[in-house]
Parts: sequence; C-alpha cells; structure tokens
Amino acid sequence: MSNIAGKAYAMNVITPLGRWWVFINLAIFKLAKTVFLRRKLNGLRTLSLIHYARWVVIRQKQFPRLAESQPKENLKYPYMLFFSNFNGSWTQYVDSFHMAIPNGLNLMWQQNIRYPKSVPLQPFHRYILHNQIWTEHYYNAYPLASANDVKAAIALKAALVDFIQSTEKVSDDEEFSRRYKAMLFEIQAHLGKMAPSPVVSLANQATQERRRLNQLYGRLESKPPQG
Amino acid sequence: MFHKATEPTPLTLLSPIKNGAVDEQSFASLTRRYLQSLESHDLSPMAKVPNTFLCRFFILNDVFYEGSPAQEDHLQSKYLVFCCNFHGDTETYLRGFWQNAEQHIREAWRYCVAFEQVSDANSFIDYIKKCTVNTTFYFNGSSGAPLAEQLKALYLKQEFSQFACDTQGQSPQQLRAAFQHFIERTKPTDLAAPTWRPGQNFL
Repeated sequence: MSNIAGKAYAMNVITPLGRWWVFINLAIFKLAKTVFLRRKLNGLRTLSLIHYARWVVIRQKQFPRLAESQPKENLKYPYMLFFSNFNGSWTQYVDSFHMAIPNGLNLMWQQNIRYPKSVPLQPFHRYILHNQIWTEHYYNAYPLASANDVKAAIALKAALVDFIQSTEKVSDDEEFSRRYKAMLFEIQAHLGKMAPSPVVSLANQATQERRRLNQLYGRLESKPPQG
Repeated sequence: MFHKATEPTPLTLLSPIKNGAVDEQSFASLTRRYLQSLESHDLSPMAKVPNTFLCRFFILNDVFYEGSPAQEDHLQSKYLVFCCNFHGDTETYLRGFWQNAEQHIREAWRYCVAFEQVSDANSFIDYIKKCTVNTTFYFNGSSGAPLAEQLKALYLKQEFSQFACDTQGQSPQQLRAAFQHFIERTKPTDLAAPTWRPGQNFL
C-alpha cells in the first residue's frame, strides 16, 4: 500500500454533502468552468505541483448497481470524491491549497457536512485526514518527473526540434553557434536534470525499503488464495 | 465533461465487490491483498497499458461518519475504485488495457459483481461503462500529449541538460560537431527509441 509513486502522491478524499445542497454544488462546478467563477480558482494554476485533480459528485442512486443480487444502497447523503496527483509531501500540498486558494476550496467543499473551511489550517488538516482513503496500488508513468518537468520537457523538445530544422541549411559554424546560444537563452528555464525523488515521507521510505528487500530476496508476499 | 484533443481523459470507476468470503477472508480483503502485492513502477501491470499517465486502485470500504449532528451512513457493498488519467478516447484505452493486461484485470476484478460476464475486450468495455461515474470537475496541471511524446520529451530534457553543460565554452566548430553527434545519438523526432520506459524509476 502506498500513496506515493516516484515524485507523485495520490490523495483520495470522500465527504458527504448536504442532501439538497448537492444541486448547488453541481451548479458551482458548472460555473467554475465559466468566466463567472474561474477567477476564484486561478490559484490552482499557480499550484504547479499538481499533475491532475478531479472532483466527482455521486448522488445516492448513482452508485453502480450491476445485479439484482447486489444490495441496494440506501445512503442518506450524496458524496463528493476528490482525487489528486501531486508532487511533494501531504503537508506541503494541503498547506499550499490552504494558502493559494482558500476561497476556492470553500467553494468546492461548499455545504459538505461539517466542512470546517480552509482557514484556520489545523481543523482543515483534521478534516482531510479523517476523510482520506489510502491507495492500494499507485502507478506513475514518469516517477522521476514532476508536473513541471513534464511541461518543461514538452516545451524543450519543441524548441529543440525547431532549432534542428531551422539550422539544417546553416553552413557557417559561427552563425550556428550564435543561433544555438539564442535557443539556449530562450529555453534556459526548461533545463535541469531529473533524479529519483528524495525521501519525502516515512511511507515513501518504507516503500523504497520494501522494494530493496524484494529485489534482494525476491517477492515476500504470497499470492491470495483461489476461490 | 468536455475534453480538448490535447487534454488527458479522466476515468473513475466504482466496481461493487461481492459480499462474500474465502477461508474467512472477505472478497474485498482478497482484492486488497492482490493489489498490494503488485510490483511498482515499470514492473506494474499498468506500465504495459498504452497511454496510462497516472492511475490508482483502492478499496472503498465504507463512508466516514462526520460526527453529530450528521447522521450515520453506511455502504451496502464495498467498491473497487479505479481512477485513471490517460491519453485518447476511453474505448481505445480500455481495449488496450484488456489486450495488454488481461491477467491483471481478471485478478483485480475477479470478486466484483457481474464480472463473470466479462470474457473479451468488448464485454470488458461494456462492464466498465456500467461502473463509470462521471467526473464533475477536472483540473489538468500537466500535459495530455500521447505518453510516447511525453517520455521522449523527458528523455531529451535529461540528455540536453547534460549536453548544454558539457559544451559550455566550446568553439563554434567543436559545438557544431558535438551537436551533430547529440542528434544522431538521441534522435529527437524518433519517439520509439532512445527514450524512457513507462514507469522507469532510475537512470
């Protein structure tokens, strides 16, 4: 079990919504995609530590029921699920959210049962911890890279390919060198080598240690029984 | 929710797990045990599934009680939750999922309600559609480009950052020769190789 895969942390939070307020929340999420509320969430863009995040509102009757043999859900509340993939530690992330978009958070979690608001910090910490579910298996296609690395790499590759094409017919080495330096100046913010993440939490350290032991001695866990 | 072609696609599934047990271990517990036994990074079965950026599995045992004056609430089933961010349309992704990780799918979903109806890629897609819950709001802070494009870009960023350091102060002739060699070695427009492997966690 690990919420960590390389430089990414997986957060899962499920919280109940007020029975009738769910429609207000759904309207807020719709408006959040428009100019009316987008400004409240502009801070999300400044939180460049996020790969992807999503909010999923499920009303009582929307939990999948696939067979008559499956008992019907009889929930009293609708629920909101929040999933995030971010870089850094749990505390860094929650604190950044709290600092960058306190009003945006209050808007998103509007009318969630006993939501304490994003300020002050400690009750907000306790609320997230109380409602968080740990991940059993987390996969990251680029564990060495942060979200910023991915964006920088895409920009660097485009600039490099452009440079190669635009200098193909340049025969003068001096001119090539001048253009190379200009290109390097343009993309300097995207340069930087990546490396495996340092220990960002005890869970990450435990994962690394388990992996090391598995590599040394082979798999330690037995397979689940057949049935 | 509307997605632009360059946006990643989010998929969220809640697959109900049967309320049963084998040898005093509940089906939910056996599913959890299987998921926890999976290898990580490039050895994860998800590394074989084309265009998977980030994904997770967990078991939703129950909902949480928020304390008075809220009322207590409980789920009647436990759910296997799969949450994924990928490139492309959902049907193509799920077909690739089945074709490249069928054994893993059969193990992960084996105790889920109605999964016995799944026998091939088409029935898997139909099954997943029934388990899908809509994403209400999605935030993309990274890239939605195909995974091969992203991995090649990361490989190039790593290699070119080193190249830029190594060639500092070189004469125009030396720089040009070194850059020519760099292009031949790294093949910037060839997405197939050299590049990073999906899930690669060391250099």
